Amino acid sequence: MADTTHSASHGNSHGVAHGDAPHGHIGLRTYTFTFIGLLGLMFLTVGAWWVEKNVLAIPEWLGVTIAMAIASAKTFLIVYYFMHLKISSRLVQIFASLAFVFLAILFIIVMGDYFARGWPPQQGPLP
Amino acid sequence: MATTALPQGYLRDDAPGAIAWLKSWLLTVDHKRIAILYLLAINFFFLLGGLAATVIRIELATPQGDLMSSDIYNRAFTLHGIIMIFFFLIPSIPAVLGNFLVPLMIGAKDLAFPRLNLLSWYIYMIGGIFALVAAVFGGVDTGWTFYTPFSSTYSNSNVILTIAGAFVMGFSSILTGINFIVTIHTMRAPGLTWFRLPLFIWSNYATSLIQVLATPVLSITLLLVAVERIWGVGIFDPALGGDPVLFQHLFWFYSHPAVYIMILPGMGVISEIISTFSRKRVFGYEFIAFSSLAIAILGFLVWGHHMFVSSQSVYSGLVFSFISMLVAIPSAIKVFNWTATLYKGSISYRTPMLYALGFIGLFVIGGLTGIFLGIVAVNIHVTDTYFVVAHFHYVMVGGAIMAYLGGIHFWWPKMTGRMYNEVWGGISALIIFVGFNMTFFPQFVLGYMGMPRRYHVYPEEFQILHVLSTAGASILAIGFIIPIIYLMLSLRTGKIAGDNPWEATGLEWKTTSPPPTFNFDTTPIVNEEAYAYPPDAPERDAAAWKPGSPL
Amino acid sequence: MATTTPTQAHGQGKDVHGHGGHDHDHAHVPGLQHHFNTPEQQKEAATLGMWAFLITELMLFGGIFMAYIVYRWGFPVHFVDAATHLNTPLATLNTVVLLVSSLTVALSVHAAENGKMRRVLLLFGATIMLGFGFLGIKGYEYAEKFAHCNGYSTPIAWATGTGQHAVDECLVPGRAFLYPESHGATHGGEPAPAAPTTAGAPTPYQLFFLLYFMATGLHAIHMVIGITVMSVIGWMTWRGKFSPAYFNPIEIGGLYWHLIDIVWVFLFPLFYLI
Repeated sequence: MADTTHSASHGNSHGVAHGDAPHGHIGLRTYTFTFIGLLGLMFLTVGAWWVEKNVLAIPEWLGVTIAMAIASAKTFLIVYYFMHLKISSRLVQIFASLAFVFLAILFIIVMGDYFARGWPPQQGPLP
Repeated sequence: MATTALPQGYLRDDAPGAIAWLKSWLLTVDHKRIAILYLLAINFFFLLGGLAATVIRIELATPQGDLMSSDIYNRAFTLHGIIMIFFFLIPSIPAVLGNFLVPLMIGAKDLAFPRLNLLSWYIYMIGGIFALVAAVFGGVDTGWTFYTPFSSTYSNSNVILTIAGAFVMGFSSILTGINFIVTIHTMRAPGLTWFRLPLFIWSNYATSLIQVLATPVLSITLLLVAVERIWGVGIFDPALGGDPVLFQHLFWFYSHPAVYIMILPGMGVISEIISTFSRKRVFGYEFIAFSSLAIAILGFLVWGHHMFVSSQSVYSGLVFSFISMLVAIPSAIKVFNWTATLYKGSISYRTPMLYALGFIGLFVIGGLTGIFLGIVAVNIHVTDTYFVVAHFHYVMVGGAIMAYLGGIHFWWPKMTGRMYNEVWGGISALIIFVGFNMTFFPQFVLGYMGMPRRYHVYPEEFQILHVLSTAGASILAIGFIIPIIYLMLSLRTGKIAGDNPWEATGLEWKTTSPPPTFNFDTTPIVNEEAYAYPPDAPERDAAAWKPGSPL
Repeated sequence: MATTTPTQAHGQGKDVHGHGGHDHDHAHVPGLQHHFNTPEQQKEAATLGMWAFLITELMLFGGIFMAYIVYRWGFPVHFVDAATHLNTPLATLNTVVLLVSSLTVALSVHAAENGKMRRVLLLFGATIMLGFGFLGIKGYEYAEKFAHCNGYSTPIAWATGTGQHAVDECLVPGRAFLYPESHGATHGGEPAPAAPTTAGAPTPYQLFFLLYFMATGLHAIHMVIGITVMSVIGWMTWRGKFSPAYFNPIEIGGLYWHLIDIVWVFLFPLFYLI
């Protein structure tokens, strides 16, 4: 929250200083490469799935990890380039990460409870 | 500026006819008019929830169920809970005082998204209508928590309509939160840095973060309950292969932070009032500011303390219990800092100050009993007893409502341009304090003795305490009705307040009362910290005191 | 203060601008609403507001993902087996459609930056078409499941009344839900437990398909909203409301569209590729 410069940059004085306001620019080349990267990652994840089903039996946790890593990479590409996070103010960058942080809190705490309880949950708490 | 005539400000009525007048209010994008719309709607729901509470307390005056059947009683306390929580406590201070004050306090002309602000009022009203329709057509008997599988499979009441009401209202809450966050970030007056902001802004900011992050989880959870109820396919009912504890996890992921949605803005109001009527800078400004954020974040980590007896794992229970203790730290920081602000201040016991002092005392009791309840062993002993009921009423009524009323009184001159009757104000504040303690303190004892909540009949030996509680509730009701009367009267007969009746600091007092439509004739420039009372203000006040001047 | 006139305000010095002065200054700034002081401030507010809204959207889907994680963890064998009944080729096609639409949206923002409003319109048209394409494919997938419930093999067969489905199955959660015999998928060498043969019996399989329909359905609803938003903004573009100096709605509408894409990026591997 220590963005005191931020307030100055949006102050009411008219010759507004740019400060950390968006000033970058993303070119067509970057968009194209991002898109190609996204397509590549998509085929990678489908390919990994096909290999897992038909060629090489890998443990499920590894398969899920690979799939989620690829999905995260795709999300990063979309958020960082397509959604202009790269050239956004620091504040917007922080906000963009908030949802992921709080979702992680939800997932980790709830799954912590389930791991401690065991499955099926109807059995109740572990001794 | 000595004012003899009331400036009209945003209340000016230049509409040519009744329809135009109605349009000028119902289609307004002025945050101040929207705040007034909220004020009317929210107080209506408060009275409705109060009515349900009255019915409950009358029924509990005798051990037998002579007024209502158990089923009707279930519907009555559910109505009380749903109205009070979703339609009064959650929107009360942010939507009324926050809407009115956030732009004024930061020197902006309006909120960042004025039309979104109006939309959120309409969404709130639609949600309210859903809840009212559900109540009129028989009510709902699940309790405000909608626990599955009762709510999704077994209950024979209007669960869907009520859920729809809470679901819709959630979006109103989200939109208000987004509006405040953006406004506070981008629209502060020149020179108004974060550490010059009034603490009311800090606490509203923390509240808005919770609203934005937590409310959607409740929305999706309620949606899943509705799906389960309508189509009989679901993920929460064990008979359908699901896990009801998952519902409780998701529900409390919202509903515990929601408790802080209710209390945090109240803490902001108290900071303003205490400082103004002590004529001192708030002690430990930075600590109060950051404790708001700390409460908001810690609030997301402790929801499991509502689930100690829910077959949640004992290990989770222990961790949740420990983290719950941590919430006491920022809360205590606030209380200690308010107390330190009072020390050597020039204290005047005006009505808002009476509410603020009441808040501190009651919040301490409510908060400390919260620590009892955060301990697993004690919690299991008093789970679902009146001890819990008394605890959260001390925080919600003793905390949030005291702050709400204190804030309404404090900013009433700013909102209407007129002063209310100070004598009646003080009297009703004292009546509320006495009535409140008489209502809810006996409930601590009742709960400890083992009286469970949500029962309409009880053993004979509990009757004395229940009668005491009901008598206190009657006093409390009188205390709530008196302000309505004298505040309404003040609109006609009240003394003209002038720009700054309390000699307070803060940008909202620099403009006229009531403020003009765009708040400030000239954009204010801030070059001093918040609460910049002169260091010798208490001494000067003491020297200037003579018999007859206000305390 | 009430008597302070704009003239006096101007008289107070260069650093203070009267309200009237503001209106005058802003008369030539397109799209600037009266309560903002500068276009930069307005743009930052719009962007931040949209991101705050996107947070709420992610949290909304987060509830469903939470349920998914719990039951995937609880019933791994059932989930792996159930996923074989989803149409992965169509979903892959849909992923491509969505990724292309994300590209067109990103390019339209780029075109708006450079003032090429005709190109913005074209790209918006393409985006909306791709959105409808996505919904069409999704609808076909749903229809396939419903057709199976009614005893037909494909939606087209269902419409024409020909082509009985060979397997007796119904994968739409509800009273008619009937999971067919296992495909023989195994989980760590452990075959999937046999499904009950009575329709509507609650099983983990039904949980999987319920989550599938809830998650993709909610996503489809967001797609409908996205198409509506894009149409409105496209119409505004056509009316000439935007210029390189002011195109905030194009930018934040694009943000919303990308969010739809992100949600799908996670839904796709979690439901189709397990």
